Order: sequence, then C-alpha cells, then structure tokens
Amino acid sequence: MPYWYYDKKDLQNTPSFRDGISNENENRYRKEGARFIIDTGSKMDLGYNTVATGVVYFHRFYMFHSFRTFPRYITACCCLFLAGKVEETPKKCKDIIKVARSLLTDQKFSTFGEDPKEEVMTLERILLQTIKFDLQVEHPYGYLLKYAKCLKGDKTKLQKMVQMAWTFVNDSLCTTLCLQWEPEVIAVALMFLAGKLSKFEVVDWNGRIPKHNAWWDMFVEDITMELLEDICHQVLDLYSMQAQPSGGDSPPIPSTTKPPKNEKKPPSGTPPTSVSPVAPVVNKTATPVKNGAGMGVGMGMEPRPELPRAGAGAGAEARFPLYGAPPGAYCAPPPRLPPPPRLPPPPRLPLPLVYSEPPPSYPPVLVPPVPPPPYYPPRPYYPPP
Amino acid sequence: MQGVTAPREQAPPVISTSSTILNMREKEKYIEDFDFPFCDESSKYEKVAKIGQGTFGEVFKARARNSSKKFVAMKKVLMDNEKEGFPITALREIKILQLLKHENVVNLIEICRTKATLHNKYRSTFYLVFDFCEHDLAGLLSNVNVKFSLGEIKKVMQQLLNGLYYIHSNKILHRDMKAANVLITKNGILKLADFGLARAFSVAKSGQANKYTNRVVTLWYRPPELLLGDRNYGPPVDMWGAGCIMAEMWTRSPIMQGPTEQQQLILISQLCGSCTPDVWPGVENLDLYNKMELPKGQKRKVKERLKHYVKDPYGCDLLDKLLQLDPAKRYDADTALNHDFFWTDPMPCDLASMLAQHTQSMFEYLAPPRRPGHLRHHHHVAGAQPKPVPQDSTYQDRVF
Repeated sequence: MPYWYYDKKDLQNTPSFRDGISNENENRYRKEGARFIIDTGSKMDLGYNTVATGVVYFHRFYMFHSFRTFPRYITACCCLFLAGKVEETPKKCKDIIKVARSLLTDQKFSTFGEDPKEEVMTLERILLQTIKFDLQVEHPYGYLLKYAKCLKGDKTKLQKMVQMAWTFVNDSLCTTLCLQWEPEVIAVALMFLAGKLSKFEVVDWNGRIPKHNAWWDMFVEDITMELLEDICHQVLDLYSMQAQPSGGDSPPIPSTTKPPKNEKKPPSGTPPTSVSPVAPVVNKTATPVKNGAGMGVGMGMEPRPELPRAGAGAGAEARFPLYGAPPGAYCAPPPRLPPPPRLPPPPRLPLPLVYSEPPPSYPPVLVPPVPPPPYYPPRPYYPPP
Repeated sequence: MQGVTAPREQAPPVISTSSTILNMREKEKYIEDFDFPFCDESSKYEKVAKIGQGTFGEVFKARARNSSKKFVAMKKVLMDNEKEGFPITALREIKILQLLKHENVVNLIEICRTKATLHNKYRSTFYLVFDFCEHDLAGLLSNVNVKFSLGEIKKVMQQLLNGLYYIHSNKILHRDMKAANVLITKNGILKLADFGLARAFSVAKSGQANKYTNRVVTLWYRPPELLLGDRNYGPPVDMWGAGCIMAEMWTRSPIMQGPTEQQQLILISQLCGSCTPDVWPGVENLDLYNKMELPKGQKRKVKERLKHYVKDPYGCDLLDKLLQLDPAKRYDADTALNHDFFWTDPMPCDLASMLAQHTQSMFEYLAPPRRPGHLRHHHHVAGAQPKPVPQDSTYQDRVF
C-alpha cells in the first residue's frame, strides 16, 4: 500500500507549486474543492463517510497533479462520484453534475467542458490510477465516537464536546490534515480542542492505567502537546482565513502562451508566505516559538515568513488562547480583523452538523447511532446483477 | 532548470478555446505521458492464454516480462457498457481482495492499466493481477485421471473451510461458491477465487433486516433460503455451497443440477426433505414460500443417497450438517472444521504429490464440455432464465 502521509515540506513542494501556483492559492483551491464536495454531498443526502472519503481522494489526487492541469470542481465531482460507489451510496454521475451546476457559477462550471459526464468518466480512470485503487479510507469520526465512549464525566458536557469535535472534524476536511496524520491522531487532537473550548476537562476515563498522563495516551502513543496544538491550529486557521479576502474566484488560468515556468516559481526551499494549513505553522517536533523566529531550521525550512494571518500583529498569544485564557477570549476576534471569526461554529458549518446523517444522536453519545460497519455500510443500491 | 518538465514545455503553443482549462490536446498529452507511480502498465506482463471468463471480464494467464517463471492471472475489468464509470462490482471486488490476505484466498498482486492513448480515447483498460493457480476444482473433478484419496479430499475441504472461516470472520460473504471458483495451485494450496459477487455483511439489528439481493450464487449451488427469496441472509449461504462442493468431491459432478429455480428447489427437497416450518422454523415467512411449488412429504435422504459415494461415515455426517435446509442449523465454518471428519484417520494429507502427476493445467474453462447445458453464469443476468437442459428422462437423478 502506498504511504499517504506527507511532511510539511512535501506539502509545500506539490505538483501545483512546481507548476507555478503559490502555496497560498493551492490551499485555497483545496479548501474550495473540499467545501464543494461537502456542499454537493450534503445536498444529495450523502453521508459523512462518503463525503469525507471523496475529500480524501481529492487531497491525494493533487499530490500527483497540478490544479492547473485538472480544474478543481470537476475533480471534486469525480471524487464524490467514486466515493459514492465505494461507500455503497452510489449517485448517478448526471445527478452529481446537475447539483454541481446549481452550486457553481457559469464560469466555474465551464471547466467541466462540453460533455461534463464524459469528462468525469475519463477523469475517474485517472483518479483511480493516481490513488492506486486504495479505495478504503478511514476517517476520524468513528474514532471520535469510540474514544468518547471511554471518557468519564458530566454527560451533557461530554455530549457538547463530542458534537463540537465532530464539527471540527468536518472542517478539518478543508485542510490537508488527512495528508499528514492518521485519523486516530486527528480525532484525539480535535477532541482535545473541543474539550478546551467547551470547558470539559477529562479527569478520568475507562481503561486508565498509571502510566497515562492524559486520556489520549490510551489511544495514541507518544503524542506530544506540540503536535496536538499544531493540528488544532491548522483547523482554527480556517476560520481566520475566512475573514480574509479570498483572492478572487478564478480557477488557475493557464495563459495561452505560458510564461516559462520558472519565472513564477519561487526559488526552491523558500516557502512562500501562506495563510494555509499547509504552511509551516509549527514544526511537529519543534518547540513553538513566537512569530516563527528561527523555526524548523532542522527540517530544511526557512524561518517562517511573517505571519500574514489573523492575529499576526498581536503576536502568537492571540492565536494560542487554548490554555488559561477564558473561552470568551478564545472567541474574540483577532485584532484588526472584522468580522470576528466566531468559533465555533464556523460561519458556514452551523451546528448541528452539515451532513445529512447527523453525527450520532447526541444524546446517547455513548451509542454511536450510525455504528460504522467495519467495512462498508450495507446499502442495497446497485445490487449485483 | 528549463526543460525539467520537458514534455509539457515542448508542446506547441496552442490557442486555447477556453481560457479556464488546459486545452484538450495539452491534457491528452499530459495523460499519455503521466507515469502513474502506483499503477503499472499491463505491458509488464505478456498474455499466454485465455483461461476463463469472470463475473465482469475475461481472465488470462500471463507471464511477467522480467521473469519467465513468474506467472499471473489477469482479469480484465469490462467497462464498455458501463454508464456509471468504473463498475461498482469491480470496486467491491477490489476493496474486498485488498482486505483479505490469507493462504486460502486468492492473492491480488496489483491492478494494472493499459496506456491511455488516442486509440482508446484516453481511457485505460484495467486488469486485476493475481498469483497464478494451475488448477480449478471443477477442472480437476472433470478429469477422470485425477483421483483424490480420502485424505486428499479432507485436505481440500479443510482448506476450503479455512478460507471461508477467514472471510466470514472478516464479515465478507463470497456469494458465488462453486467448484469452478475454487482454485488449487500445483503445490496443493487451495484458494477461494472470484469475489465479483462478494459483499460485506452486517449482523442485522433487531427490527432492521438487511436487504441483499437474492439473485446470487450459481443456481446449482444456491441454498434454499435464497431460492425462497430471503434477503437477510448471511454466511450460511456459502456453507451450503461448501456442502455441494464437498459432495462433488466424490460424485465428480454437481449434485443438484436444476435448470430453473423451481426445479432446483424440487431437487433440494428430494435430497434434503420438504421445506416445512417443522424442520425450518420461519421458512413460512420467506417471500416466495407461498409462491413456489414446494414438494410435500419428502423425506430427508442425504445420508441414504450419498453413502454410496461417500463411504466414510464421518464424511456423510458432515455433509448432512452442511446441507441443512434451515440456515440456522447449518454448520458454520468453525464448527465444520472441528468435525471428526478432519480429526480421524486417514488424516488430511498434502495434495502436492498427487498433483505432481498432472503437469497440464486444468481449468473448467479449458476442459471439454462434460455437462450439457452447463451455463456458467446464468445467475448474473436478472430475468434471464437458464435455457432448459436438454432433457433426458434421468436428468434429475443423473448423479445418484
């Protein structure tokens, strides 16, 4: 099986980047593509697993191809189309295209070409080859529920925490976290975040043994606070990104007479400034330092460029309100950036969740309502002939 | 560093008709040149012969070009008539094969592609590539020169049940058990093959029954619950097939060769007795219980009729347990593996030495026709009834 996890250096030096697309733009394309899959999937009543699988295919696809070669919205449709079949919730290609058309501007839809369905069919083969037919993808949702079952404490607070974590997992699809960490790790990190935000402190859990310092030690070994924070910030950064000008609608436009590639290409090794989750937020093993000074040199990364992100002016404290600061402060807008990114829920993903299959009926958090069957939920559409 | 991306740089500047997408020719060139790192070209293998017809495509024997000794089986994914792209059945098979790694399950090595070119409209053809197995059980059984000793039969059945135990533990139903889908290597290792109809199953929760299609399993190996329209079935459907195959080890030909679903049910009743709520509580609730003609007053004659072939009493007893009408009473793979049949003399013994006498590959597909009207895939076409077998007055009892 191929290894689908990348370090941050790989995530900057992508095919799109080598094709002259800045990391900043690539991350925007990824976010928009993922969001589009979520919106299309939700509109078609596809479950969260199908949607998440489609998004993971999408992120993996662009580790091998450039956004300039393959426009993002048609790729997104193709990923959702394939995910539907893989997760036994198939949708007809033409129906997906119909919904896509309703969600996109004419200009964006024009990237689907003259015969959108044929385009998707051709693209599907390219997608399958690109992802090595590695169809089965695991998501943090199942782990989230499994882990929550083990936590002790006030039921209502636990419910609230799980629901918030669930939303964070939804939103994490818009980042490249699924290209960096296993679903178990993401689940733990976003529960940790939700716990902080909802003021649910886990003091005891089933299966606790003396060597456990924190509840997550039971599920993921050797996870560091730095890593947890890094993951949380990658998700939180999404919300501050939304307050920024998006940089226009246009898909990557290949000029008819292409300039030599290298003109656009920043000298390799110098990460472009970026507000994205892909940017070197915090080196996984490094101690977080303010404003990126002297960070991550060991990984061959340049010192972090100035933070063009929410809260930049206020220094790192503004972005690290996780500890100590009252949650009110957490939700406070980063200085100078109206409107305040309300946290959570993020503006476009109101609680309860976006997907049609609501995350387990919280109440009973303890019984996952959609107990994801080990492989694929048995849905009898498309029975074999 | 100009020229690093040479293939695309060299493409002549073409005026794009749409400013928003890479123009068609550039894209085609890109697809043609892209070296998918995870998906090799099928040209690394050289086809030797066609050896079969799978659920969704042809199967070829092929040789790896980089090693003249390494043989594989390549199963082509048929996509010509697919309105919905890559067939969901093929996706299921791939997912399941990637999950199942066991000595008694056929091993999927990789998935290969043909190069996308103008000739195929930039659409690759895909092949599933498997370790090559020299024989299939139907082919071996149809060859009178191949003789199985009791110990060898035990070994075949033990491996078959091991494979079923493994896939059922992984919540997978095979749904197409038959002798032709049981492969055997020249070293005597048995492999369950053709997961083209397989699917994952879940244990139905109270009040919410599963609704699987019951149009699965080749008719002659189809269990009574499927014939009666059950859609909430499980592993016992494969165990019935295991029983049919086990009997076939002695009879050398399928024991119940019904030409229609109705006939198949009659044959089953003549062997296993009438389907009544007495022996099978709940049968009366199955969809087709009142719609099919069910022979009444038939006595169960499994042991009586099979003992002439299966002289071993333990073998007879195990067959009796596998060919239970009531799926709930049918042995599961684990129980069957613990049956005395496998733990009494002669013990299961290796097949390699017996197979070594046969240097020719034996596949049912290649074997001379031995079963008039044997329709290999008549269950796959919904609505299509198998053609009636040329009737001779004894066909119902041809085996016994």
